[in-house]
Amino acid sequence: MRTGAVLAITLVEIRRFLADRSNIFFAFVFPLVLVLVLGIQNSGDQPAGRVAVVGDDSSLQAALVDALAGSDLEVEETDAETMRADVAQGRRQVGVLVSPEAARAFDDGDAVELEIVTGGQTAALAVAQVVRTAAATAMLRGGQETVLAGTGATEQEVDEALAGADERIAPASLAVQDTSEVAQEFSNVTGIQLVAGSMLLLFTFLNTLAGGAATLIQARRDGIVRRTLAAPVTAGQAITGIALGRLAIAGFQAVYIVVATRLLFGVDWGDIAAVTVLLLLFGLVGAGLSMILGTAFDNEGTATGLAVGLGLVLGALGGTMFPLEFFPDTLRRVAHITPHAWGYEAIAQIQRHGAGVLDILPQLGVLAGMAAVTLLLGSWLLRRSLSRAM
Amino acid sequence: MNLSVTGEPEALRSGRGEGANVAEKVLGAQGLVKRFGPVTAVDGVSFEIAAGETFGLLGPNGAGKTTTISMVAGLLVPDAGSVTVAGVPMGGSSVEAKRHIGLVPQDLAIYPDLSARANLEYFGRLQGLRGSTLRQRTAEVLELIGLADRAKEPSKKFSGGMKRRLNIGVGLLHRPTLLILDEPTVGVDPQSRNSILESIEALSVEGMAVLYTTHYMEEAERLCDRIAIIDDGRLQAEGTRDQLIELTGGVDTIRLTGSGSLDAGAAAVEQMPAVRRVVRDHGTLVLTVSNAPTAIAPIVNAATGAGLSLADVEISRPDLESVFLHLTGKALRD
Repeated sequence: MRTGAVLAITLVEIRRFLADRSNIFFAFVFPLVLVLVLGIQNSGDQPAGRVAVVGDDSSLQAALVDALAGSDLEVEETDAETMRADVAQGRRQVGVLVSPEAARAFDDGDAVELEIVTGGQTAALAVAQVVRTAAATAMLRGGQETVLAGTGATEQEVDEALAGADERIAPASLAVQDTSEVAQEFSNVTGIQLVAGSMLLLFTFLNTLAGGAATLIQARRDGIVRRTLAAPVTAGQAITGIALGRLAIAGFQAVYIVVATRLLFGVDWGDIAAVTVLLLLFGLVGAGLSMILGTAFDNEGTATGLAVGLGLVLGALGGTMFPLEFFPDTLRRVAHITPHAWGYEAIAQIQRHGAGVLDILPQLGVLAGMAAVTLLLGSWLLRRSLSRAM
Repeated sequence: MNLSVTGEPEALRSGRGEGANVAEKVLGAQGLVKRFGPVTAVDGVSFEIAAGETFGLLGPNGAGKTTTISMVAGLLVPDAGSVTVAGVPMGGSSVEAKRHIGLVPQDLAIYPDLSARANLEYFGRLQGLRGSTLRQRTAEVLELIGLADRAKEPSKKFSGGMKRRLNIGVGLLHRPTLLILDEPTVGVDPQSRNSILESIEALSVEGMAVLYTTHYMEEAERLCDRIAIIDDGRLQAEGTRDQLIELTGGVDTIRLTGSGSLDAGAAAVEQMPAVRRVVRDHGTLVLTVSNAPTAIAPIVNAATGAGLSLADVEISRPDLESVFLHLTGKALRD
């Protein structure tokens, strides 16, 4: 094997990929923008729930809002109509109605009744329980203040007495633990990290597929492949160089996303050896598929359109746009016809659970099988195409 | 292009056709056959090219020129026959034989998004050139093809002629023993075309064997020491230009146009030994003669002496077009 010739063919692919200005946006800018935007949407300290409080200004409402906010709930004071609409559409899990009667009863130190509206989601029940606890805390505090004030204590003395009581006896609180599989899966991962892993797979595959197919068609159409074979280069060397060229594009894209997200967003990629092996096999699948597209079609516009469509569909089905964990079981099984699903699972294992190469062997094995099939088919089609081109 | 030419091209070329047999044989093609399904594209083509010789394959589109050079270049495996380049048989992976060949395809086989330098370096690496040798040869070829000052520009920004020159430059990079040019002037403006032809003339002077395919008769006449006429996949004839012309019988045509007695003029000239046939054609006498340059003066004297007042005299010498017509019964550009 003349490695010099193979290397020359490989390097010229990267050079051409970088020479295409449209790739500067799609390979360098777009992935990071998506990681940033989607990551921010999915990151930050998420409140335990979102609650709307409805009522006129009153000491009860103020005490309730303070108590809810202190329970890590996002609280919005609004009108009844908006509250019901928000709860119905899932924007708020719980709504609390503070009636004038309740406000007066609170001020008088009497028993208070509040109306609570809950949404249909599972999480709404937990949030409602938090609201009940917070309301009870607020009312208890109100009662304590009323009693102390009744003894003739000043407002300052009341505050000092209650603060002293809080030090000795911690106020009641309710911690809600979501024990569902999905919640546990995402408990140790930030939004940016989750999105970065998905975008790494999506863009590595997409750009390898689209860029690799288009450049191969151009080279075939312009007679460059034919001229390459007129040099002292065997067909096997040419095909190896072409395949490695596509893998190099995949590698270039992957390394860029890993390094850039690490430097810019502090993404923790976990075991770098495991990530490298995973991306190598994942990139080979993309390289093989791009060779198939690059030889099956003679029009680069058609091939690029198909490659982008295929890349997006496989990416969506494989869990890189919407986490695989949220898929229904049947769809999740179907998703595993895509390399993305296996890649997603492996990345999830590495990033969220500290997995190494040995831990993701099943995913690596499947990806290796997919790579072998696509590369063999791509090479066979390319060899057939070369004999026609001659 | 600014090739440094040593010696006198015309003088050197004049004798090479005759002396090709004694010069070192660079290419030998024997009985090449290539079939595509029921179609036989090339049928028993044989020829040889010596060092420093420019050999032309002249024929219309679809005659089998490109298929022939594809077999010579190792891009197609012949169904029958053999190719030897610089003594190395073209077969198997053909890598050794291909080292001696520089192929300039008809299409512009260069990367449009890469610079002239990057294109040359890429194809140079494929030829096994490395390091300082690659850089030096790239610089030399850029100078040779007149693109040194635009070496860093993407080739897609070049004019058609510049792209053609780069296309040729790629084939020259590794100093091949045999340069194969497949219709390199197709779609080129006259100025660039002339520049390309001058370059090829200079290359053969420097000792490179050149296999040149074209369907332009003028190019074949200007460049080639020997010419093979190919049609329907078969070589119809092969030889120097003069040898091919001989195939037509070596007759010239003289047209005498004027006033006066056409019959008397015809009677006067048809008795002359050089004149083979006289035809009256709407006030013009069309004479078929052997060796018109020496016969023209006595013919004009005889015609005017017979009372024909000449207004126009036209001599047509046979050319490759005539040869092709004579051999195949159809025009070269049919």
